[in-house]
Amino acid sequence: MICYLGVDIGSVSSNFVLIDQTGKLKKKVYIRTQGNPVKAIKEGYLMLKEGEGIEFEIRGVGTTGSGRHLASILLGADVVKNEITAHAVAASCLYPEVKTIIEIGGQDSKIIILDRGIVTDFAMNTVCAAGTGSFLDQQAARLNIPIEEFGRKAVLSSQPVRIAGRCGVFAESDMIHKQQMGYPVEDILMGLCEALVRNYMNNVAKGKRIEELVVFQGGVAANIGLRKAFENFLEMKINVPEHYNVMGAIGAAVLAKEYIEQKRIKTAFKGEEFILEGEFVSKSFECGGCPNLCEVVCIKRDDKPLAYWGDRCRRWETSLNKGDRRNLKVV
Amino acid sequence: MKRVGIPQGLFYYYYYPLWKVFFTFLGAEVVKSSPTSKKTVDIGVNLAVDEACFPIKVYYGHVSDLLKKDVDYIFVPRFISIETRSYICPKFMGLPDMIKAGIKELPEIIDMTVDLSRTDKGFKQEILKTGSFFTNNKKKIKEAYNYALEEYKRFGELVRQGYTRQEAIKVWEGEEVFLSEKADLNIGVLGHGYSLYDDFISMSIVKRLRDMGAKVHLPEHIKGEDIEKEAASLPKRVFWTLGRKMVGSAFYMDKNSDIDGIIYVACFGCGPDSLIGEVIERKVKKPFMLLTVDEHTGEGGIVTRLEAFCDMLIRRRKLSESNISCYG
Repeated sequence: MICYLGVDIGSVSSNFVLIDQTGKLKKKVYIRTQGNPVKAIKEGYLMLKEGEGIEFEIRGVGTTGSGRHLASILLGADVVKNEITAHAVAASCLYPEVKTIIEIGGQDSKIIILDRGIVTDFAMNTVCAAGTGSFLDQQAARLNIPIEEFGRKAVLSSQPVRIAGRCGVFAESDMIHKQQMGYPVEDILMGLCEALVRNYMNNVAKGKRIEELVVFQGGVAANIGLRKAFENFLEMKINVPEHYNVMGAIGAAVLAKEYIEQKRIKTAFKGEEFILEGEFVSKSFECGGCPNLCEVVCIKRDDKPLAYWGDRCRRWETSLNKGDRRNLKVV
Repeated sequence: MKRVGIPQGLFYYYYYPLWKVFFTFLGAEVVKSSPTSKKTVDIGVNLAVDEACFPIKVYYGHVSDLLKKDVDYIFVPRFISIETRSYICPKFMGLPDMIKAGIKELPEIIDMTVDLSRTDKGFKQEILKTGSFFTNNKKKIKEAYNYALEEYKRFGELVRQGYTRQEAIKVWEGEEVFLSEKADLNIGVLGHGYSLYDDFISMSIVKRLRDMGAKVHLPEHIKGEDIEKEAASLPKRVFWTLGRKMVGSAFYMDKNSDIDGIIYVACFGCGPDSLIGEVIERKVKKPFMLLTVDEHTGEGGIVTRLEAFCDMLIRRRKLSESNISCYG
């Protein structure tokens, strides 16, 4: 079967999807990056091709997420796109009428405003990661609640407690205090959800007009407590797509599909052997070329350098032959 | 020959040609610190008080860099005001004192007070005082200043030609800087010059935008009177010189149909930025993005935002080409 691969390498999770020629999702894999994107890409790819005996023929590859450049080196990508565009494309494929996208991921949160399927405005969290997935993860772990249970527990609350949402550290000390006072866990959890929504509205969505249809996606959309808190705050229906946690990857795949179909070219995909059989090592070193002392990262496959990055002056980045580097160029 | 060290930070980007010519004319040799690097930042952050904004911290690093360059003096001007009824951020007012308190074993500091908020009487005295480090001939000092002003005007003309301040300094010094004319997008970029034009602090935002195919428009490229006219539309006059320039430029760019979008580069610890950024964001109707920079060297966040912004502008244009206004 002919399909297109979309890969989203985020700070917390790595997602892989295959879509067919009609844009329908055929398979998805959601795994945790666990600080090792190279391993995650390999594992994810392996899991993607496992299972049912359908043969996939990959015609195009799109990558997104903070690890998009790395993924494009390992896989050979046709399109390397930022998360905002990828998320917007995916949401507007599913909901052509979408006006607002709330996306909360592991380390960032964003709001995307669309008009007839086109991004007209967006904002991302600036210097603070309070209210993102990893903060929720941390708090759930501290309360000894599996993150999957978090939302379900939170919606049981009848009287959410007030928790400071301006800053992750404030929120945590507020939570601990309320815990010690003996408030039930579900009220604290729901209070946290409400605090996060307030924080999101004041920091990320500040000054933006939120209009229906609203789509909530990203890993955190799994949390029904947060979904409810958003609904209460906005007094609007919040739509969560079925594949909310892999929307970035879907967007990347759609963009790859569009790109390949439009240009009528062969994919830059390096093939299964390349990714599965090679030994990928990433090494970092401090370049001594100037006082900047850039931390340069080198990705090697079986001792052959594939890519360098991290150097401000690009002397390493451009040291490899230019043909291979074409893929890194952001389109 | 006496050697005068000029730290490559803060008002360096605005006045370096003036300073250089002034000191050189008086027979001194001008030495600048090396461009901002990780090392400058590490040293600066260590030496500076925690509350200072990032460009000030970087400035400490530059002063410290000059210590190794065997200079007799370091020029650390005290900027209070460069025009009537307007002021520079108070951190500049205390800069020479902060530097003296934070860095040990400094050579003599040439501390010149620039305060033009009311009259320029005191300022003339300051020029003579600064010149007296090198000569007692008052006429020669005045001559040096007039000559420096001429060069400063020439530099100002260069700045208006589409260069960034940093590039204009290079051109002024005789280097060649190539500006590509081809561009799909026109983006206005605002920010305090000392953070925006320092490639390290701003993570080369201007260069990155140009690489993405955008022509970058800067406040320096707009006529002063146009900026003032636009800035005057606010109910209360902005009394920070640089802040008012940014507000006026933003409003001007907002009205200029050539500009597709505006990016504001703010420093995390900057007081004026936190207010000015907000004022601009509320008033401007065009796509606007606020980028906050600080000590971080991870470029991913900046790159993602810039890419997404350019993407959005290009896609928006498709929408408006289908003859529907998208400026809400």
